[in-house]
Amino acid sequence: MGNGLKAWFWQSAPIPLAAELHCPGGETLALVGPSGSGKTTILRCLAGLLNPAHGAIACHDKSWLDTAHHLHLRPQARRVGFVFQDYGLFPHLTALDNVAEAVPARSRTARRARAREWLARVHLAGLEERLPRVLSGGQRQRVAVARALGREPDILLLDEPFSAVDRATRERLYREMAELKAALRMTTVLVTHDLQEASLLADRITVVHHGRTLQSGAPADVVARPATATVARLVGVRNLFTGYLRRFQAIECKAFIAWGEVELEAHTAVPPGAPGTACDWCISASKVILHRRDRPSRGERENPVRGEIIEYLRLGDEVLIGIAPYGVPAAIIRLTVSWHVAERNRLGLGETATVSLLAAGIHLMPVESVLRTVPDQ
Amino acid sequence: MDWPALWLSLELATWTSLILIPAALPLARILAWRHFRFKGFVEALVALPLVLPPTVLGYYLLVAFGSHAWPGKLFEALFGHTLAFSFMGILVASLIFNLPFAVQPLQRAFEAIPLSVREAAWCSGLSPWRTLWRIELPLALPGIASALALTFAHTLGEFGVVLMVGGNIPGETKTVAISIYDRVQAFDDEAAGMMSALLLAVSFLTIGMVFALTGRRVAPHG
Amino acid sequence: MSPPPWKFIGILGVLLTAFAAGMVRAADGPVIAAAADLQFALAEVAQRFTQESGKSVRLSFGSSGNFYRQIQQGAPFQVYLSADEAYPLALARQGLALNEGVLYAIGRIVILVPHGSPLQADAELKGLAAALTENHLRRFAIANPEHAPYGRAAQAALAKAALWDPIQPFLVLGENAAQATQFAIAGATQGGIVPLSLASSPQIAKRGKFALIAEDWHPPLRQRMVLLKNAGDTAQAFYRYLQTPPAREVFRRYGFTLPGEEE
Repeated sequence: MGNGLKAWFWQSAPIPLAAELHCPGGETLALVGPSGSGKTTILRCLAGLLNPAHGAIACHDKSWLDTAHHLHLRPQARRVGFVFQDYGLFPHLTALDNVAEAVPARSRTARRARAREWLARVHLAGLEERLPRVLSGGQRQRVAVARALGREPDILLLDEPFSAVDRATRERLYREMAELKAALRMTTVLVTHDLQEASLLADRITVVHHGRTLQSGAPADVVARPATATVARLVGVRNLFTGYLRRFQAIECKAFIAWGEVELEAHTAVPPGAPGTACDWCISASKVILHRRDRPSRGERENPVRGEIIEYLRLGDEVLIGIAPYGVPAAIIRLTVSWHVAERNRLGLGETATVSLLAAGIHLMPVESVLRTVPDQ
Repeated sequence: MDWPALWLSLELATWTSLILIPAALPLARILAWRHFRFKGFVEALVALPLVLPPTVLGYYLLVAFGSHAWPGKLFEALFGHTLAFSFMGILVASLIFNLPFAVQPLQRAFEAIPLSVREAAWCSGLSPWRTLWRIELPLALPGIASALALTFAHTLGEFGVVLMVGGNIPGETKTVAISIYDRVQAFDDEAAGMMSALLLAVSFLTIGMVFALTGRRVAPHG
Repeated sequence: MSPPPWKFIGILGVLLTAFAAGMVRAADGPVIAAAADLQFALAEVAQRFTQESGKSVRLSFGSSGNFYRQIQQGAPFQVYLSADEAYPLALARQGLALNEGVLYAIGRIVILVPHGSPLQADAELKGLAAALTENHLRRFAIANPEHAPYGRAAQAALAKAALWDPIQPFLVLGENAAQATQFAIAGATQGGIVPLSLASSPQIAKRGKFALIAEDWHPPLRQRMVLLKNAGDTAQAFYRYLQTPPAREVFRRYGFTLPGEEE
């Protein structure tokens, strides 16, 4: 299993990078960010397809890159398994030969035998003699994975490997990937713009934006506790607002936030800044509780906010609601309720509704200043 | 029917192809995948013979390799005869004149290979040489066949530059294209017609054979 | 180990076959540069030479001026039969010939019109003059006076008949005397001034009519031949053969006046 991956990169041109990565051995790290955020660039640096101006890579204690000592191992010298976004299968070779090319054995028969095993492992037994152009998208992806694994790599690198297939195939491939992960305990770095995919497959995520790594951690942690408003936006937090800190009671770990004309109480051990300064805050939709008209519920006393429903969108059995709170200009609290709850509470556009923002769910973030430019080594 | 002229043409076409295609391969590869400052200039230079009048090339070759210029003197010293009016002379002219026909199809073929395929080869542990032999060349094969066919056919038809550089020396520089011209002037329409028809057939045969060879590659198996 | 690349082998086979076939080169023999008006006459003489001596020569026809330039540039001819003696004499002066050479024939020009042409062929070019004044001449062929002696002779004849300037817009210049004859007879022009040796040959004579132009209408076409610097034994044998009675007889048959027999 080894000691995992540790890497950092920095350059200003042609593609700006200021990234730090850490993935423990046997775990999966997902690089998450919007298109063009530099995640693929980082992955290519890991593979040796791109050499950053400054950086270092250590994989299982083997040094692959060290610009300070002018060490750049070529991709062939690194044991990486790379699955490209368009798979990069050799079009003129059969599935078996595609995988066999990567297997590091001496004799042709040994390579083909191992390749056969890998193809069976990805559920492609029987399709060994097919050429890539007659395979479906999902089958091609599996060949690409088999080829990457056939290399017996120290680390598996996947560049948006599920983006080119349809939803049903994707979900099947997620399951298979999860099975392989469990069986092989391979250190993996996965690039994706889909946070849900990252949450399903990764043990850790690193949020990347404009070539910078902004925050790393378990998927649930990063989503629940983004470090800054930018990260919050990147991980899809919908309820993101700005307020300012009135006062902080250290012993009770309570912070009081002024939000427009509303005062909110949040539970936090560390204040986001000095009292009287602005701060960003967010809350997950699951921590926004709708006050029911028919019977009151327990959390109704916490941070009640009243407002007018200005968004009301029915999607199947659910309704997406957006509430503009009274006293807070230009803010919309969004939450999802089931259709029958919306009906029972006679919710609709223009209706008044009250929600409770659970104090434990309000997450405070410092307002962003200029980020540090050079990561420490 | 001027058999020596026909064999001479075939020989010229064969030598041109044998020398030019392997030389064009590395150049085409560099033009396809590398970016460097004078790339546009190099590409223009390669494409120049497409628009250059054959007589212009013939003129410059005669000047450069005439007995009075140093390349000509060097050549004479090495080989004992002038470059002009010799088979080597028209071969040199042919190599220069066919450059775009060899390089451009090869360049297109290499450009058509997705970068991810080559990168996948490197990540799979294939050395640059093995990548070239096992991945790039097989995928570029249609391009190689096109380059071969075009160079061969184009050489068979060369007239102006061969006449200027080679003169009309039977057995040495009198290619079949020149022989046809010669026979027309000699009022020997029968021979001219026969050679023209034969040349047409040989051209068709060459191209058809090469296309058939590459066509078979694409047929699916299993 | 990858499967043998059959496609490569196939292509290579095509090439090697062609290449091997190409190893069959023409029979060796000295290359003779000959003025284009000797197209038929010299071919016949060469054939006889081969029959009698068993040796063969390779003939290359073109314009005298062109050959002169090529020989100066080192072209590998061994004998040069020019239609204008100035060229071989110049080569001798430049040390490119073994000797000053020898006169082998004196040429004549004719006006040639193909069958069906509205032009009349007559020795004083009156038919041509009429066509010009009546404005129904379309095209008329001569060899290029710049480097073909027969072209210069044609120019002189036209000037003598005061037709050189008026005929300019209608002139078609052949690269050499043979090409001019080709243009004259093939139908693209209405006629031309060409060598007698070509017009009187069976192939041409049956396709048109011609009239001999007077000798004094142009400078004499003194055709001279030389042995060039690298002339070998066969070349020298051929050179000698061209001066023997059988060869002279052939020349006479094609309308050449032989040296020593001028009127």
